[in-house]
Amino acid sequence: MTSEAFVHIGAHQPRKEDARLLTGHGRYIDDIVVPGALHACFVRSPHAHAEIRSVDMGAALDMPGVVAIYTGHDLARWTTRHRMAPPIDGLRAMEMDTLPTTKVRFQGDPVACVIATNRYLAEDAAEQVQVEYAVLPAVSTMWQALASDAPRVDDDLPDNLLSHQHAVHGDVAGAMAGAHRVIESSFSQHRQTHLPIETRGCIADWDVGRQHLNFQVGTQVPHPYRTTLAARLRLSESQVSVVSPDVGGGFGQKIALYREELTVAAVSMQLGRPVRWREDRMENLLASSQAREDFCRTRVAVDAQGRVLALDLEIVEDFGAYSFYPGNYLARVVAMIITGPYRIANYAYDVKVVLSNKVGNGPMRAPMSVTSWVMEGTLDAVARELGLDPVAVRRVNMLRPDELPYTMATGEVLADVSPNATMDGVLAAIGYDSLRQRQAQARAQGRWLGIGVCNVVESTTYGSKFYKSAGIAGSGHEAAWIRIEPSGAVNASVGLGATGQGYETSLANAVADGLGVSPADVHVLLGHTDIAPYGMGSRGARGGTAGGGTLYLCAQQARATVLAIAAHLSGLADAQALRLLDSRVQQKVVDQWQDTGLTLADIARVAYLDPLALPPGVSPGLEFHLTYEPPPMTYSNASHACVVEVDGATGAVHIERYVVAEDCGTVLSPVVVEGQQHGAIAMGLSGSLYEHIEYDSATGQNLSGSLADYLVATSHELPHFELIPMHTPNLSTPAGIKGMAEGGVMGAIGALSNAVNDALAHLGVVVNQQPLTPMYLRGLIRQAQLNTNKTST
Amino acid sequence: MSEQRITLTVNGRNIEFEAEPRKLLLDALREDCHLSGTHAGCEHGVCGACTVLVDGRPTRSCLCFAIQMEGHEVQTIESVGTPQKLSVLQQALHECHGLQCGFCTPGIVMTFEAYLKDHPEPTEADIREALSGNLCRCTGYQNIVAAIALAARRMREASPHDQ
Repeated sequence: MTSEAFVHIGAHQPRKEDARLLTGHGRYIDDIVVPGALHACFVRSPHAHAEIRSVDMGAALDMPGVVAIYTGHDLARWTTRHRMAPPIDGLRAMEMDTLPTTKVRFQGDPVACVIATNRYLAEDAAEQVQVEYAVLPAVSTMWQALASDAPRVDDDLPDNLLSHQHAVHGDVAGAMAGAHRVIESSFSQHRQTHLPIETRGCIADWDVGRQHLNFQVGTQVPHPYRTTLAARLRLSESQVSVVSPDVGGGFGQKIALYREELTVAAVSMQLGRPVRWREDRMENLLASSQAREDFCRTRVAVDAQGRVLALDLEIVEDFGAYSFYPGNYLARVVAMIITGPYRIANYAYDVKVVLSNKVGNGPMRAPMSVTSWVMEGTLDAVARELGLDPVAVRRVNMLRPDELPYTMATGEVLADVSPNATMDGVLAAIGYDSLRQRQAQARAQGRWLGIGVCNVVESTTYGSKFYKSAGIAGSGHEAAWIRIEPSGAVNASVGLGATGQGYETSLANAVADGLGVSPADVHVLLGHTDIAPYGMGSRGARGGTAGGGTLYLCAQQARATVLAIAAHLSGLADAQALRLLDSRVQQKVVDQWQDTGLTLADIARVAYLDPLALPPGVSPGLEFHLTYEPPPMTYSNASHACVVEVDGATGAVHIERYVVAEDCGTVLSPVVVEGQQHGAIAMGLSGSLYEHIEYDSATGQNLSGSLADYLVATSHELPHFELIPMHTPNLSTPAGIKGMAEGGVMGAIGALSNAVNDALAHLGVVVNQQPLTPMYLRGLIRQAQLNTNKTST
Repeated sequence: MSEQRITLTVNGRNIEFEAEPRKLLLDALREDCHLSGTHAGCEHGVCGACTVLVDGRPTRSCLCFAIQMEGHEVQTIESVGTPQKLSVLQQALHECHGLQCGFCTPGIVMTFEAYLKDHPEPTEADIREALSGNLCRCTGYQNIVAAIALAARRMREASPHDQ
């Protein structure tokens, strides 16, 4: 993997988290007992867009157990407004109230908060709050949003265009003009939601005496969350502790401070009592963050061999009603990295982000999910139009190893990736050449097999420089501390927020190898703002490089001090010939490592209890703290290949085989990485086939309010995934770590769509939207067959 | 709605508490019996996170009232294994990395503690069919399927006379 000899990094160990979670002894938000806690329930708008005329809470206040009912007017006094206004060209500033006071902007928008002694009674009372609305016409699609006479989602903005950016790199127009062909394709990705099995929830407990808020919430980003929560409550950051216990999945949904959570915190301060809230599944589907919903169009200039001479990309994203993130936060990244592993010097993009009467968008596992489908689907279109093999088109465009590091047209630098190796690996594994023969035979028998290939370049660790150059507010640095206790036990912490990824296991490996101890002796503490250092939390795939990398560097710093003490105690001039392995100090004598008899516990005892015995310049105790700024961006890469069969009579898609070769550099824990790969591929396939947050195009009503409407793939629909691990280390990061966890989504979306297109190619139809439902595919097939019948008669 | 005395038999123990007749078994287990291992995932019977055993059969505790369960034997995840001594199935899930965030896991364990008693030799297709009643957002199911197959094999090996 790298020249450094790892003992625990990359070794197979089951997870430390499992025992408590398997036996029902995890502690999720709703499991935490808080005596005397009141329960919150929100009254939500039944309309997509409406003026709030009045709120009558008289009957509800008389209901049993009801303590109080609050509206946006109350919250406006207790909290500040939310302003999203980073200085970015083409991005409009947006503000919002904590709870709406004048109009609601989507079905599910919270208009009042009922506080009662238990959840049943709070829900009873919420039903009795009478809100009078004057219904307004709704913006239900991105095309309606862009219409000149569209209703305005945000009355403070001149229209619904929240963000618009474009750029031209190289001579796109010239290349288009002189090209052999210009081929246009489009891709419509539908609206989805993260659907963690644990819904959102929180417990706010205002300590009147200490004037301190203890706020327990499942969050991916404890410290940035605290910064925002404190500011909006007009508290100092010293007055707020954010504590994130076990979290039942996040996938990007648990990053922003939600308005419900802020309300619960403010109410606890007002009442001087603990208040708790947990949304139900319908609220999660109607009012928790949603994602995706973008339309992409590519125009690509090619020569006769399918070589791409220029690419023009247009993106329109439907961002929903509120700006919890900057409008360009998601789509801009797609535009920055779209060319992936290909040599494309002439490139232009235009990215529009529009507001609509839907839930506000947020990042969902692979916020740039559509990227690989768009690029690889474009190359498949080139192959179709020119009568070439799709793999051959990829080969003429793919960067050769000797061309790396490669500066993309957008200025992004691609280094330490292996797209040729992953593609060769996956094609060999799936038997690409013989598959083409089998496909022809099957077609002769009336069976429609399709083969889909998708190469992925996954942006993993976003450094501060990337944010700056992409015009996105944010920092990419991370912080860690390690404390070796007097007994030699090792505690470590970093600013990530765990939501099930297995950090307690994988990060322990980074500490173990950086320091020279067993992972069993490393305890990783996360998710408590009073304990963990201020870090940027978990988003993207930064946990490995930013989290693991920072801990690894901090552990190396600790090891240097430990060995310096050991050398001093051993009467050596320096620690050159010493190492720490499994908490024991060893000395190299000739070519043999020999045990010195000194252990980490011995060193720790001296450091804490006999500091006068320490070498000059070494301060007492064994505490280490370090912050780390990762490179502007790290990339993992992968190649996905799948074989599908489409049933022409029903439009059903059966996935026969699914193979992925993925190169994510040094892996901290192969067990955890494999699990992330499975989960990401599953999320991509499930989203492409079934999941759909659908809004009625006339009324803006959300039609996906239950799991009977919002369909998720089960074990029955998903295939067995075959994985081929590869490990090209990143030469710019600690231990060669790259990060991963989102690329599986990107690859699955592209590979599946390409395979279905391949299966239907003989009909002359092109799949250009998702989800790939039987109804959609049957519609295409039916139309193709009608056309054939017409031409044959 | 007025509260009344309800007596449940949970994990072999009788537990008495006052609750409204409309109180879900799920909420009564979590709040009145202080057994928080049974999780609320959807509260409309789709996701399976709240699965417990009622008289040995997997049951959605979000789809029945606590009061209906008087006179029945309810078993929750807390009756299966301990962090120090996992059941065969729990151990297999641990070894195969069959869980990530763990929120859906108790429901899956309860479903298959019962299933494997009746189906000692399931095929992969059988397991996938039975598992389709439990949603997991993290794992893609593959390692859960592998763990259940491993547990089935170990259970068969432990009691060969049942073959």
